Amino acid sequence: MKPARFKTLQSRIFVFFFLLILATQLGSILITSTLGFSIVNKTLGEELETGKRVFIRLFDQNTAFLTQGARILASDYGFREAVSSNDAETIASALDNHGGRIKADLMLFVGLDGRVVSGSTTARQAIDASQLAWLSPREPQRNATALIERINGRLYQLITVPVTAPLPIGAIVAGFRIDAGLAKDIGKITNTDVSYVSKETDTGWAVHASTLSGAPLEALSQALDTDRITTDAITDVSTGSGVYLSLRTRLPSPGGQESVAVLQKSLDRSLAPFRDLRDKLLMLGALGLLVSGLSSLAIARSVTRPIKALAEFAQKIAQGDYSGKPVITGQNEIADLANAFDHMSTEIASREAHILDLAYRDTLTGLPNRAMFHDRLQQAIHTARRLGKPLTIMLIGLDRFKYVNDSLGHHIGDLLLKEVARRLQDALRRGADTVARLGGDEFAVLLPTDDMGSAHKVARSLLDALEKSMTLDDQIVDVRGSIGIASAPLHGEDITTLLRCADVAMHQAKRNSSGYAEYDARFDHNTLARLSLMSELREAVEHDHLTLFYQPKVDLKDSEAHSAEALVRWIHPERGFIPPNDFIPFAEQTGYIRAITTWVLNEGVRQCAEWARMGLEVNISINISARDLMNADLPDYFTGLLKQHGCDAQRICLEITESAILDDPGHALENLQRLDAIGCRLSIDDYGTGYSSLAYLKRLPVSELKIDRSFVQNMASDPNDVVIVRSTIDLAHNLGLHVVAEGVENEAILSQLCLLGCDQAQGYLFSRPVSAADFHAWVQAKTWKEQLRLARQA
Amino acid sequence: MKCSQKGFIMALLLHAMTGWSHTQAATLTLQVTSASGTGIEDAVVYLMPGKPPGRPVQTPTARIDQINKEFVPLVSVVQTGTRISFPNKDNIRHHVYSFSAAKKFEIKLYADTPSKPILFDTAGYVVMGCNIHDHMIAHLLVVDTPYFAKTDANGMLRIADVPPGDYSLIAWYYMRPDRNALVMPLSLKADMTQAISIRTRSSD
Repeated sequence: MKPARFKTLQSRIFVFFFLLILATQLGSILITSTLGFSIVNKTLGEELETGKRVFIRLFDQNTAFLTQGARILASDYGFREAVSSNDAETIASALDNHGGRIKADLMLFVGLDGRVVSGSTTARQAIDASQLAWLSPREPQRNATALIERINGRLYQLITVPVTAPLPIGAIVAGFRIDAGLAKDIGKITNTDVSYVSKETDTGWAVHASTLSGAPLEALSQALDTDRITTDAITDVSTGSGVYLSLRTRLPSPGGQESVAVLQKSLDRSLAPFRDLRDKLLMLGALGLLVSGLSSLAIARSVTRPIKALAEFAQKIAQGDYSGKPVITGQNEIADLANAFDHMSTEIASREAHILDLAYRDTLTGLPNRAMFHDRLQQAIHTARRLGKPLTIMLIGLDRFKYVNDSLGHHIGDLLLKEVARRLQDALRRGADTVARLGGDEFAVLLPTDDMGSAHKVARSLLDALEKSMTLDDQIVDVRGSIGIASAPLHGEDITTLLRCADVAMHQAKRNSSGYAEYDARFDHNTLARLSLMSELREAVEHDHLTLFYQPKVDLKDSEAHSAEALVRWIHPERGFIPPNDFIPFAEQTGYIRAITTWVLNEGVRQCAEWARMGLEVNISINISARDLMNADLPDYFTGLLKQHGCDAQRICLEITESAILDDPGHALENLQRLDAIGCRLSIDDYGTGYSSLAYLKRLPVSELKIDRSFVQNMASDPNDVVIVRSTIDLAHNLGLHVVAEGVENEAILSQLCLLGCDQAQGYLFSRPVSAADFHAWVQAKTWKEQLRLARQA
Repeated sequence: MKCSQKGFIMALLLHAMTGWSHTQAATLTLQVTSASGTGIEDAVVYLMPGKPPGRPVQTPTARIDQINKEFVPLVSVVQTGTRISFPNKDNIRHHVYSFSAAKKFEIKLYADTPSKPILFDTAGYVVMGCNIHDHMIAHLLVVDTPYFAKTDANGMLRIADVPPGDYSLIAWYYMRPDRNALVMPLSLKADMTQAISIRTRSSD
């Protein structure tokens, strides 16, 4: 895994600049060092060459000087006189004396035969006779000679000059010791280290005089022994104390001997200033690195600190805390960004407030909406539970609101809702109480501290507040409310339960027109048993626990024809008979009605075909729900069923409620036309409960109209209903529609229907819905004929 | 001139005294050549009799001039006991010296003719130089006999008035001063002419 510390901006900036400066510093130091070394090396080589030239010149001059001295000495009259004495002691003393004049370290007088006649005291001390053997073959030359020779382990420059008297009578040899003093003098002038070394054919090199000492001297000896120093080339000699560049020059030597002067320059000494410079650069570099490191750290910090602050600020915003303000000083881009953040934070805060308002408030009435009510209720439940106190909620539904909305328009409906909201708010004086609009005409009230008793009082005051007439856009509207009350912990301790209980209670209040009602479990059909309804219903469809019952539709004019409405029944294997109202609305809500319809259509068509084979011709009506009508596959499925069971399409009538058509008229119309094309008949069910006009129905391919039972049942007592039924029948007939009356429960209604010219009647008077077998029996009993006869007589 | 006259008379006397037993004196004419046959100038030849000759009665004299910073003549030969004067004909001074074993002397810076001639009383080779002018060299052979001569430019010499008898003929050349160039017996009866060749250099 990569180290996390290099991921941050701060460390990247720091590392980048640090490395950049490090590389620059190292580069400059490297270049300085390399350049310095090469310059020094070159300069040193040149200096060494110059030193060599100076040395050679110096050596020649020195030789000439010494020769000159020796010559002067050799021509001295007194000296020659002494030498001519042929007395060794006299000659020796003369050599001592005159040698002293030219500061010779040793003086010899050599006869014409080459034999040493005598020597100075120093010479005699330095040389024993045997060691002078090499001098024997020497012939005194007319001219002077100068050779570097090793005598008794010491190095001398021997100047030989002839002595004449006036013919040559011999030669004097003046020896000048080559010692450290000379090396030092020459070294000073040539500005090099000078070493005089020699070797004999069969011996190794020996250093006789040198400005060097210690390790460099030893290294020189080794280098000489390994022939590392050649005559012309500059050579490196490494020593314990650094490298010396070396150059040697040959000195005139007698046969069998080789003498050399080695000039050297210490590379390290010359490099010292550069080393010093490099050290200073290193120090400067380290200092620069430190300073630049710290400052890049500071810059990186100054960049990242505000970024961190902004990040923290952004996190706060994310957590919903808009109170802070990013503390960024200065005028730079970061400060601009901080200002932008601040501005953004303010904007988000205000927008969030607005969104919250939209989310929690009903825009029409300004009351809290369902979400806010849920929140408050949740909180209240929590508080109440903690305090062990009860709380109460109410659901308020407006009676006849739909009517107002439909008849007076949505504008008045909205004004009504606003007025209701205002009144409810006015009626609730306590701050803790909440009134909310849950949707449509449904309001809710939360009384967080009330028990059932005090809730009843509040309910009454709310109803009173709604009782007074409202004037909305110059229209006087009366509205009434129904209130359902539920209390925690009495009826439940969670929102869902409480709201459901309140809803049940409200519907109870509506049904009883009692104004308000407290939840009563007896009226609650939405018990836990219903929760498993869906799965049971599915099982019922799959295992044929459903069955069709048939209720006869008696033809009031042609008494021979047989018709029946197929009604689905659920015979539960454990719970027995389950009324359709307990599962059909549920199935319609959940959409499962389509599966049920599919089953019903199949069974109805099958039964119809079966009866037809038995010779019983029955027209069967089957109910189609709004959802079914939206199903584009329905016509094809239906056609398939007819074919499968061999049933005549004319025998099947599909009943559709008004409202089903009105939900989506366009779609409904298309499906209806396709069904009509198949050949089946179509009927409008529950006519009168909706608000459709007959003129609209005329455009539908329907052939039958069923008047809702609510109008038919009250015909005997309410003359208005008689008018409605009559006009409906007349209008339907005028449109060429067949009219069926439902809910015929007594003979009086039947006689009236006969009078009004209704085509068919259906109701308990004739028969309840019965099984297929019972229906068959009923047809054969023909009891309805007698009933019809009596009705016509009445 | 006076001196030479005296010498001549002395020689005559000497000749008269010694020549009694001899009828007449002989003359030796000699040519000295190198190995290649070239006549050698300034070669010295002298005849040593078997019995050492007596000293001349009168001291003979000779002269070596210094002219143009040269000794003239370059080579001289004298009998033992000869006095040689060193007249300085130059207008500068000379310092004539000799470290030779046969005669060590010096005449310190002088002009004209020094007052006292130098007596050469030991036979041998004397080389003289000038202490001021290193190149000035004069060679002198001092011999114990009156019969001597040096060759001319053609290598010719004549030794006259030699009593007949047996002699050692000795040749000497200044370029090889440390030994005799030739030693040979010579029986001189009458005038005779002879040719000899010698080595001229020490390396020869």
